[in-house]
Amino acid sequence: MRALLLIVAGAALGVAAYRVQVDDLFSPGGRAAATVAYGGAFLIAGIAAWARRPANKLGPLMVVTAFALLTRQFRYSHDPLLFTVFFAFGDVAYALVGQCMFAYPFGRIRGRAERALVTAGYATALIFPLAVLLVYDGRSPLLQYNPLDPQPHESLLYVGGGDRAVELLQKSQVVVFFGLLATLFIAVIVRNLVRATPRMRFVLAPLVVAAITIALRAVFESLFTFIDRPFAYEYVFWWQAGAIVALPLALLAGLLRAHLARAAVGDLLLKLERTPPAGLRDALAAALADPTLELALWLRERGTYVDAAGHVVTLPHDDPRRGVTKIEHEGEPLGALVHDSSLLEEPELVQAVGAAARFAIENARLQAELRLQLKRVEESRARVVAAGDEERRRIERDLHDGAQQRLVALALELRRAQRRLGKELDPELERLLISTVEGLQVAVEELRELAHGIHPTILAEGGLGPALNALAGRSPLLVTVEATSERFAEHVEATAYFVACEALANVVKHANAGAVVIAARRENATLVIEVSDDGVGGATVDDGSGLRGLADRIEAHGGRLRIDSQAGRGTRVIGEIPCGS
Amino acid sequence: MRVVIAEDSVLLREGVAKLLEQEGFELVGRAGDAEELLLKVRSYKPDVAIVDVRMPPTHTDEGARAAVTIREQYPEVGVLLLSQVIEAAFALQLFTESPAGFGYLLKDRILDVDDFVDAVRRVARGGTAVDPKVVSQLVGRARPNDPVSWLTERERSVLELMAEGRSNAGIGQKLFLSPKTVEAHVHSIFTKLDLIPARDDHRRVLAVLAFLRS
Repeated sequence: MRALLLIVAGAALGVAAYRVQVDDLFSPGGRAAATVAYGGAFLIAGIAAWARRPANKLGPLMVVTAFALLTRQFRYSHDPLLFTVFFAFGDVAYALVGQCMFAYPFGRIRGRAERALVTAGYATALIFPLAVLLVYDGRSPLLQYNPLDPQPHESLLYVGGGDRAVELLQKSQVVVFFGLLATLFIAVIVRNLVRATPRMRFVLAPLVVAAITIALRAVFESLFTFIDRPFAYEYVFWWQAGAIVALPLALLAGLLRAHLARAAVGDLLLKLERTPPAGLRDALAAALADPTLELALWLRERGTYVDAAGHVVTLPHDDPRRGVTKIEHEGEPLGALVHDSSLLEEPELVQAVGAAARFAIENARLQAELRLQLKRVEESRARVVAAGDEERRRIERDLHDGAQQRLVALALELRRAQRRLGKELDPELERLLISTVEGLQVAVEELRELAHGIHPTILAEGGLGPALNALAGRSPLLVTVEATSERFAEHVEATAYFVACEALANVVKHANAGAVVIAARRENATLVIEVSDDGVGGATVDDGSGLRGLADRIEAHGGRLRIDSQAGRGTRVIGEIPCGS
Repeated sequence: MRVVIAEDSVLLREGVAKLLEQEGFELVGRAGDAEELLLKVRSYKPDVAIVDVRMPPTHTDEGARAAVTIREQYPEVGVLLLSQVIEAAFALQLFTESPAGFGYLLKDRILDVDDFVDAVRRVARGGTAVDPKVVSQLVGRARPNDPVSWLTERERSVLELMAEGRSNAGIGQKLFLSPKTVEAHVHSIFTKLDLIPARDDHRRVLAVLAFLRS
């Protein structure tokens, strides 16, 4: 309804403005229509902007500008009242156009320079014409008026003066308005574009049209004012006319593009149904048209924000280029969007996107929490296994370096006593000494076997190769060993050794195999231990063969155990243990 | 004969030292870890260094690594490694290059004083000492068409003693045989196993070990 009324009023004014130009300015019809089209373009763009973004004041502002542009044409009227009123206020239309440019895209002017320029524009547009009216005696034609016009224009405010004063004032106005202020306008626009964040630059793109428009209009006015109607003037008129018509449409397009971002919230909702948590950030970035968007998830347990990979994220505080929007649900923080600061001007949009993605964000947050817990469990499992290994190793060490050494040393003392006394020794006593030493030797041997079961000494002394060869040597089967001579960390060697041990024991017990191959080799940062046989096959991790425990052990160190065992085709047990590089 | 001994257990180190002194050796240095050992070997240039495989700080293979260093830098110094455990595979790895002036014995062999002292002397003179356990592991190993089974009981004993690094005289002493008889057995063994007779003891050890390993 509002739109209809405005269009009807605009159309009526447009017709009147056209007539004024043709009848009073003696303009050709085409040029008169073009001038009316300026107002028409602002009117249509303003109505559309008003309808689509009612909260944004730019729409109404463009409508007002449209009416100012149309009514400005009444300054050419020969009616003294119309001439006086609209000559006085007509140029306000240009100040309004300037205000529209700086009010884009948020509907209000931000920044001191912008505010000052617009104010200066209004002042120039009001003061100079008023001054002209005071000194204009109505005899000679005014600048921008048809010089061939025989009929005078009568200023109702005339107090006295002459042609020279009028010419000086009018030319001064052109210099101030289209020379000084227009240049500053363009400079501020360029500055804003240069300083803008990438997303803001995207939003501000229509202002490039504005800068071009101002420049063309300034050239046009200068040609008109200072060069006596050269031929080129005609072309420049059409260029600047096109630019002025394009300007409101560009601003409207810019607004609607931002508006589309809001429509993207709807798309986002649908898209999130099919988006895995890993793609959540990208979906949000697309919806907000901000490729720099970061998604931070709140970890309640830790009291920190983390990214999708679980790394701690610190929210920016004083960065003028970054803004933070926290997403909460019932007072509980879920996460935060760290985005381009331009989005701070559209808090409803960011909140809408955040709300649309709430469940997805909550999901991602829970996953991150779960991952963190899983990581802790894995770490603790690795620690438990490592502690067990370390304990075995310590017991073995204590047996060898403590009890066993001491027994050997004691036996040696007895031996020395026996040799020292030699022939003097009572035969009974000598036998006793000999049997004691022999008993100690048996004890040492038993301790050795015990320690070996706990943790094979050769593993520490010789490494994996000798330990595997020793294992092969003890086996009743024909075992071939192809082992690297490289040394690895203690837990890596121990894990590989126990894999081979258990796998070999299984082969002996279940496989009915003739030949076994044990291979240990480095593949990049992994130690691969492989035990293959030519037996009956059919083994699995979970058949109670002890492979389960091995798998646990390997996994605790971040590796994995694979079993390739088809019935009748032998078995391959492959352990992969990360060993660093 | 000048001896350096490296062993972190003081009790055992002193026991061995006294034993060797009692047997007429000259103990020129005692070390508690590998670093000290290398220092004493450098300073005293002994005939033989008796080295425990496991020593501080990690108690893994410090002694073995020190032994390799000594053999590289001071080839004239014999090295006798003592270990809590003996594994044939590891032993062979240690002996592969040059068995001259090198020995590898189970620690409790010390208690068989005569054999131990003999081994120390042999290594000090540039000979070889391989622990009987290594030899028995090698001889007892399962292998297809085992040629060792073609040997007589006596020949097998001689083979094992040869593998330990003993000379004909040493073998004769151990088995109460005359040198001539030992020589006959050695000849017969080499023929049966299709080995080329070696000119000296080192090469004989190498040949026998190589055969046993194959």
